[in-house]
Amino acid sequence: MDRPEAAIVELLPRLRRLARALSRDAADADDLVQLTVERALVHRGQWRPGTRLDSWMFRIMKNAWIDEGRARTRRGAVISPEDAGLDAASDGSADMETRLEAQAVARAMARLPDDQRLAVTLVLVEGLSYKEAADVLEVPQGTLTSRLGRGRAALLAELQEGAQ
Amino acid sequence: MTERLEQVMAYLDGELDAAARKAFEADMAADPELAAEVAAHRGLADSLKAAYDPVIDEPVPLRLTLAAQAANDAPRRGRLMTWAAMAASLVLGVLVGRMALAPQAPVAVGGQVPARTQLAQALDHGLAAEPGVVRIGLTFRDAGGRYCRTFQSGPDKLAGLACRDAKAWRIETATAWTLAATPTYRTAGSDTPPAVLAAVDGALSGQVFDAAQERAARDGGWKP
Repeated sequence: MDRPEAAIVELLPRLRRLARALSRDAADADDLVQLTVERALVHRGQWRPGTRLDSWMFRIMKNAWIDEGRARTRRGAVISPEDAGLDAASDGSADMETRLEAQAVARAMARLPDDQRLAVTLVLVEGLSYKEAADVLEVPQGTLTSRLGRGRAALLAELQEGAQ
Repeated sequence: MTERLEQVMAYLDGELDAAARKAFEADMAADPELAAEVAAHRGLADSLKAAYDPVIDEPVPLRLTLAAQAANDAPRRGRLMTWAAMAASLVLGVLVGRMALAPQAPVAVGGQVPARTQLAQALDHGLAAEPGVVRIGLTFRDAGGRYCRTFQSGPDKLAGLACRDAKAWRIETATAWTLAATPTYRTAGSDTPPAVLAAVDGALSGQVFDAAQERAARDGGWKP
């Protein structure tokens, strides 16, 4: 495959899932996916055939998300964890309990520092190996596992507290 | 982070080799507290999957599919999508992008409108000037006899021109558009972006339909 464009269309559902775990709501998430796709097409000459397109796209999304986060901070917008996750599991077939649990998860995710949220998302939502996730984040594997551990502990504490 | 948590994670994330796995499972069998910790972390992983996996089965918004296709779709009808229209749409895309503080680059032509989307519903059944999140502007026939309609879709954040093939509507031209950018009152086509109007000018054969012609074409199921 030397032309990534067709494969990008097939990656869209996974890009949307990843973006949803990172973003405040579904609309922000799709804006992030669009930005990622546009950047990927502009820089598609930099993708090396034979390497994984998904990892390359995830890295672009990670950078876009970090850039957007800085822009949001500059504009003074505040992400309230209470607003987060209202679109999580928007699938109409999900029952109420599933929906509430998804919202609790999204609120807890929104409280995590950005670097921990990225690590948790790549490994636990996207299912990447530690090596793959470290490559996407462009950090050593030890840094990844340390963020992953802190993120998991914080999520667990938050969700257990909420459940009581 | 404790070594213990590191072990629990590596076990659950499939990062241990067979021998280390076996040893960890033996530890778990001997240490109920460790087993409980593993169970809690497994529950967390399951909750995350349950929260976000449904996104995989959602329909992908058209604007994203079109953005991904932008590079490899040569204009299907080169003469209709004139360079002038493309340039105009590029300029508009830049302007809209600035206004919205979010890059919404113009997207390319050639994509089929998936059935059962709000956009397909509006193209099939809508009439000009009807309110809704997807609005229809102008309706006409192109030189090939196909029915064509301009649209503005809030959910897709797109305005564009779609023409009807034997099977489905196809996007001829599309550009970034947001609901907030429109005036409160309108006539058919008055808030159609210039790039879309330019595409209409290029495609139009004869006159734009009046209300009666539009209704007749719709009630006839867009049969050629």
